[in-house]
Amino acid sequence: MSRGVVLMSGGIDSPVALYYMLRQGHDMVAVHMDNRPFTDDSPLEKVVDHLRVLETTFGRKVPLYVLPHGPTQITLMRNTDRHVGCVMCRRFMWRSAERIAERELASFLVTGEALGQVASQTLSNMRSATASVHLPIVRPLIGFDKQEIEAVARGIGTYSISTRPGLCCQAVPDKPATRTNLVQILHEEDRLDVDQIVDACVRRAVVM
Amino acid sequence: MGYYSLRLCAGGGAFEAVPAPRLNLDLRRVKGALEASHIPVVDARVMLIAQLEREVTLSRDGRVLIKTKDGAEAASIFGRLRELLDLPSVDSGN
Repeated sequence: MSRGVVLMSGGIDSPVALYYMLRQGHDMVAVHMDNRPFTDDSPLEKVVDHLRVLETTFGRKVPLYVLPHGPTQITLMRNTDRHVGCVMCRRFMWRSAERIAERELASFLVTGEALGQVASQTLSNMRSATASVHLPIVRPLIGFDKQEIEAVARGIGTYSISTRPGLCCQAVPDKPATRTNLVQILHEEDRLDVDQIVDACVRRAVVM
Repeated sequence: MGYYSLRLCAGGGAFEAVPAPRLNLDLRRVKGALEASHIPVVDARVMLIAQLEREVTLSRDGRVLIKTKDGAEAASIFGRLRELLDLPSVDSGN
């Protein structure tokens, strides 16, 4: 089986996606994009606890990289159109995850996205976000609805962790774009030094 | 003059103070007022993140998010902000 990098948010979906990859026997590395100060400590605490549960279930270690995403968010908020903020945010998450994949000799990326659940998960937004990276992206939950994902999460013991009190992302704009096009997104990124932003983020990665 | 409602946010991880009607804060003025009181502020253009006793986020429309799960502490921090920034008072529900 091959090695992949999974984005873990602390929410309900990503531990379920990781569960399916581990069940298939893949060797997985987790990445958490730490969104403080736009969240609190709870997402990271939840990810640590999710991994503990799944490591116990499968009897093997899943290394966790924690990357500071807050400074990137501040740069995006200062310099780009807030309307497309969620897609811009995702593009930088993917880029950072891909850098970790290179470091870990992983050949694919994994996410808990399911089609149409939130603003960032429409087809056009997923395309705009993932056009920032080259590695294949695996979405084990893409056709699941929320109830199905929650049922699996309850069964594998991660639901009660995901639903503990926590702070929602404060960087989400009031009216996030649900349909974006790549030309518009690339135009927004022209105002940024993309490599410098990703370098700064990945350089401060902490392995837990 | 409007008023603020102070309540636990949807995720249950913080308190939010929400003005009715929404305000139109001049964040540059707000930042200046906070810094004049030696409160560190990060300017994210559409919001400010201020370090009081707890971290506080102030949005242009007047919403204030206070990162504590303790209602009394949230009320105390909001009271300090209210004085500093001349914000409307919290509706006591009476």
